[in-house]
Amino acid sequence: MKKKRSREKVANLVETKEEKKRDKSSKKKRKSKEKNNAIIGIVDQLGDEEEDHFQKQNGKFKKDRKKKKKEHSSSGENQLLVEKSKAADKDEVYEIPSGDEDCSQGMKKWVIEYHQSRPGLKVLQQRIDEFIIAHEAKLEQERKEREACLTEGGWTLVEHHKGRKKTTEFESGTTVGSVSQAAVEGKLAKKKSKEVFDFYRFQKREAKRNELMMLQSRFEQDKKHIQQLRAARKFRPY
Amino acid sequence: METETYVDSMEFKVQELLKEVRLEYSSPLTKFVDDTVSAIKSAIDKIPEDLQVTADWAPGFVRDIGADKVEFKFKKPKSVEIGGSYSIGCVVKPDVNVDLLLRLPKECFHEKDYLNHRYHAKRCLYLCVIKKYLKSSSSIQKVEWSTLQNEARKPVLVVYPAAKLAEVPGLFIRIIPSATSLFNLSKLNLKRNNIRALNTGGVPQPTPKYNCSILEDMFLEENSKFVKKSFSGWKELGEALILLKVWARLRSSIYVHDCLNGFLISIIVSYLVAEDKVNHDMKATGIFRATLKLIATHPLWKHGLYFPLAGQNAFTEEGNERHNSSTRVNLAFRITCVAYPQLQDEVALTLRCVEKFRDGGFEEIFATKIDNAAKYDYCIRLNLKGNNEVYALGFCLDDECWRVYEQDVHCLLNQGLSDRAKFIRVIWRNTHSEFNVENGLSGLDSEPLFVGISVSSVEKAFRVVDIGPNAEKKDEALLFRKFWGEKSELRRFQDGKIAESTVWESEQWTRHLILKRIIEFLLRHHLSLLKKDIVQIVDQLDFSVLHGGKDPVSYSGRLLGTFEELSKRLRSIEDIPLRVSSVQPLDSAFRFTSVFPPEPHPLANKKVDVARLQNFTPFSVQSLEVMIQLEGSGNWPMDDVSIEKTKLVFLLKIAESLQNNWGMTCTATEEDVDVFMDGYAFRLRILHERGLSLVNREIGRDQTKWVSSDDKKLFIRGQHASMINGLQFCYPIFGPVVRLAKRWLASHLFSACLAEEAVELLVAYLFLKPLPFNVPCSRITGFLRFLRLLAEHDWAFSPLVVDINGDLSQNDEKEIEDNFMQIRKAYEENTQNRSKAMFLATAYDKASEAWTRCSPNPLELKRLVAYARSSANLLTKLILQNQTDSLGWECLFRTPLSLYDAVILLHGDRLPYLKRLLFTSELDQGKHVAHGNASNAFHPFLLPADMKGSLEQLKTKLMVNFDPLRCFVGDVEKEFSNRLKLWYDSLGGDAIGLTWEQSKKRERKEEELGGKYPVDLLRNVGELGKGFVRDVYLIKAPKLTN
Repeated sequence: MKKKRSREKVANLVETKEEKKRDKSSKKKRKSKEKNNAIIGIVDQLGDEEEDHFQKQNGKFKKDRKKKKKEHSSSGENQLLVEKSKAADKDEVYEIPSGDEDCSQGMKKWVIEYHQSRPGLKVLQQRIDEFIIAHEAKLEQERKEREACLTEGGWTLVEHHKGRKKTTEFESGTTVGSVSQAAVEGKLAKKKSKEVFDFYRFQKREAKRNELMMLQSRFEQDKKHIQQLRAARKFRPY
Repeated sequence: METETYVDSMEFKVQELLKEVRLEYSSPLTKFVDDTVSAIKSAIDKIPEDLQVTADWAPGFVRDIGADKVEFKFKKPKSVEIGGSYSIGCVVKPDVNVDLLLRLPKECFHEKDYLNHRYHAKRCLYLCVIKKYLKSSSSIQKVEWSTLQNEARKPVLVVYPAAKLAEVPGLFIRIIPSATSLFNLSKLNLKRNNIRALNTGGVPQPTPKYNCSILEDMFLEENSKFVKKSFSGWKELGEALILLKVWARLRSSIYVHDCLNGFLISIIVSYLVAEDKVNHDMKATGIFRATLKLIATHPLWKHGLYFPLAGQNAFTEEGNERHNSSTRVNLAFRITCVAYPQLQDEVALTLRCVEKFRDGGFEEIFATKIDNAAKYDYCIRLNLKGNNEVYALGFCLDDECWRVYEQDVHCLLNQGLSDRAKFIRVIWRNTHSEFNVENGLSGLDSEPLFVGISVSSVEKAFRVVDIGPNAEKKDEALLFRKFWGEKSELRRFQDGKIAESTVWESEQWTRHLILKRIIEFLLRHHLSLLKKDIVQIVDQLDFSVLHGGKDPVSYSGRLLGTFEELSKRLRSIEDIPLRVSSVQPLDSAFRFTSVFPPEPHPLANKKVDVARLQNFTPFSVQSLEVMIQLEGSGNWPMDDVSIEKTKLVFLLKIAESLQNNWGMTCTATEEDVDVFMDGYAFRLRILHERGLSLVNREIGRDQTKWVSSDDKKLFIRGQHASMINGLQFCYPIFGPVVRLAKRWLASHLFSACLAEEAVELLVAYLFLKPLPFNVPCSRITGFLRFLRLLAEHDWAFSPLVVDINGDLSQNDEKEIEDNFMQIRKAYEENTQNRSKAMFLATAYDKASEAWTRCSPNPLELKRLVAYARSSANLLTKLILQNQTDSLGWECLFRTPLSLYDAVILLHGDRLPYLKRLLFTSELDQGKHVAHGNASNAFHPFLLPADMKGSLEQLKTKLMVNFDPLRCFVGDVEKEFSNRLKLWYDSLGGDAIGLTWEQSKKRERKEEELGGKYPVDLLRNVGELGKGFVRDVYLIKAPKLTN
């Protein structure tokens, strides 16, 4: 095990040295090398795309800053930075402990958290009961405060009390669930739709204009679409 | 106004397409062509008159076609003229070639040279002479051999000029001999025998193919002239021809030697003109459609396509013209009776596209490649190189040996597969770049023979027993026995019938291999091919969804049974305030679309025999979500928090009741309640309808705000589950395709990008809107089409509408369109707005809110599309080209780690399901930043030490849905989500890819000052995964935007 470690260290050393050399050579070279390194050929293309993407970002930046120079300096800085950090820990690969003694991070923590989250049905039941009592108390408290706040200003809050909530239908005795709300909403929606929209002439005109605008915008979209298609060489069926 | 210039979008696109593919006849181009042609002419002029030509010029060829008396004295060709598509201005890029028709001089041939392949031999020798003299010309780079429509006995010369023209790279000139009025036409009547060797018992057999082959050359010039006349001065007709060529070229099953070719298409169009089926008012697209309709309705192969002398009726409608005494040539003589139905089917599909799609189906008709890999459900390659059987009877008799072999294979498979297959297509291309006639024809078998099979229906293809003839019918039974050999057996069936039959016993999850077994048996039994020479593309991807050598779907039956029992128990619970009114499965395992549906766990049972526990009993058990609805009540609280708590109380009560009444083990956290039953863990959820209406109200107030409560999510998942479940029953192959797709996405670390449900919808789309294909009937074809859909769908400009039950009305579609436009607009106004890059609309979700609202974002989608494209290309190559190793297939699921900025490798033996790991990832590049040791706190399997103790203790050790990867990802995202993006495989990969997020300049500055960025950051990330992280590598340091 130890041997392997040390071998890795050596390998790493060599690698960092090599990298240093590479850093000095031009950036482009590095890029192409990275591309060549792709483990398998299938996603070569992606490499390009990714680069594209980065180039785009660079391009944007260029526009903002006008000059290429700065980019150079920045990448230079970047390299410097990498080198610096490398120089600092060139000596070895950082060892992460297995964390079996430490419960604050990692696997041990997750396992402990898992078991802690399952205290058993009874305990959970109790916790929820407590929570609900506390929650209700809080709501009550809030309500009272609100009222108190209002009365303080010399106003009395008059609230409409609905009385007993009907959960059973008077005649049949069947339970009525929470449907009512949805039903009311449905009715409301229906009522709304009955409104006449094109009563006035100007409304009609507006509607027409809107439709035309819509068509126009769609046409614009289509045009853009086709432009994009052309750019993407979609018209080249080969 | 602009709307006035607006043209029909199909028309517009077609014009664009034409601009792209049509060859413009610029003056440099015409000069270039003319120069080359005159160079060829002058080279031919240099050939000495009366040069003695003998068989020695191409001994191999003459020997192989079996010709005698081939000597002649060379005379100059009677004429050399440009013909073909170049002469009518209909060359379609990218294959730009110019046909040069070269009329053979009558003096070189004897009157009886139509006999015994003498004409073919002399034709070839004539070309040999020309080739020799062309080679010495300085303006010609090289001269190669090719064949006319893949007919090896009719070679042509391909001349590459030495000069190159930048606008048409790769332009070449084909020299095609024509045999105008060389022979007496009546001697070439289709009923005559012109190859003396071909006879059965002394009775000469007619040689129609052979005769046609000569007749074709005799009428070549005449036909070419006729085509030229039809096309001259008619722009739309030429455009239509170009469209037809583009259309045909995209369809490799019909643009091949035994079906369509460019010349034949131009003949068909000319026929249309002669028949007055088209007029000058028609647009190109109109003529295109008219031509397709002609192909679809006219039974070409019954009559033959004869070229008319002007004014005459082209199609002689008197039946079986082939064997009629006719002096004209059937120009469609190469179309076989197998290829024609395929052509008709393809035309029908195209016409359906025209009807169905709003924009006339431009994409489907002119921009979608319908290659054999995506078209056929089963693809087979036969490697016949050096197989003597093929030309045991000679290379060329009436037909060529390769065509005969094609027919043999087709007949064999057709008989063997009977109604399992809808279409069987056998294609063997002969020409290859190093074809050299001097050496004979034996080298033409180097490309593998391709067999494509379209399955009629999955049920038929998966049938286990084929019932043959009744035992009493002795003759038929004997034939059956002879055909099936040792596979046939006499069986007594349930209805008392005793019949010959073949049985292909196999387990449910290997039914897709039945076809493979049958085909392999037939080919080996009848054609005595070796197993290694038969490459069937059927099961090459199965490895990715197997679990320990077995498809876990095989447990699904048991799972569904257990679920039924569970729902019965749930509905019968009486000791809770509200009864359970319905139970619905949510997890994808219930609808056969989960990559790894759980196997029953030995510990998740009521009774466990601890002693019999196996060595590799997993520690974790996967839970399956189940949705419960309770009967209605008005007593529910009104606010969100209380509703959720109340639900949990109900679930705890249910769990308690199950525990007390049935002895089922239950475990719960503050969010979830899991119950164990028969080896499965079910996670219970309650849907409360009130929650839904609460949400609706919220939306009503503020349109832009999306409030998704747990109830809303549950509701949508329920809708999705039942829809997909329904679909899955209609298309048995749907499940396997979804599983491959999910596995592919996960193994390329896209688990966080695309929701499971979104994948199901994407695959569903392939089955619901298969045009221009038929519905896929095999998992590999389906998977390939899934990859192509991802790669080629125009995500930026069109919504993907998945209409599962066909229940979207026109209004719904308009609504979807409007929703989509709204998002597009928002995106254009603010490109930072990154939501819904992939717009997936369904009946239950018309605004694409459910699955693709936040992810994939445009960048993720771009990556996804690029991966899909390269995987699709690789898969196509694997299917069509001669590659037999499994390595290539594995590459489809092996993601290149060098494409990330940093990579974290995990301890594979700390993943909860070890067997799901496809490959152990290793990295040999980048900077090794950190290494971690594995923790002892968790093992994927129960260790012997764990087995001790009571059963109850053992059960508590079992972990439900414990996934260290999810915990790790959660912790990292909580801490570093603004700096890092994680790419991971939630199905059990051991690698996590990291990419840098673009952070603000100022933040970055601060970090720089802190020094050691990014290495330290990565170490911190590694620390979060103590005991789980194996190695951390830095590949690309973040680019600074300053």
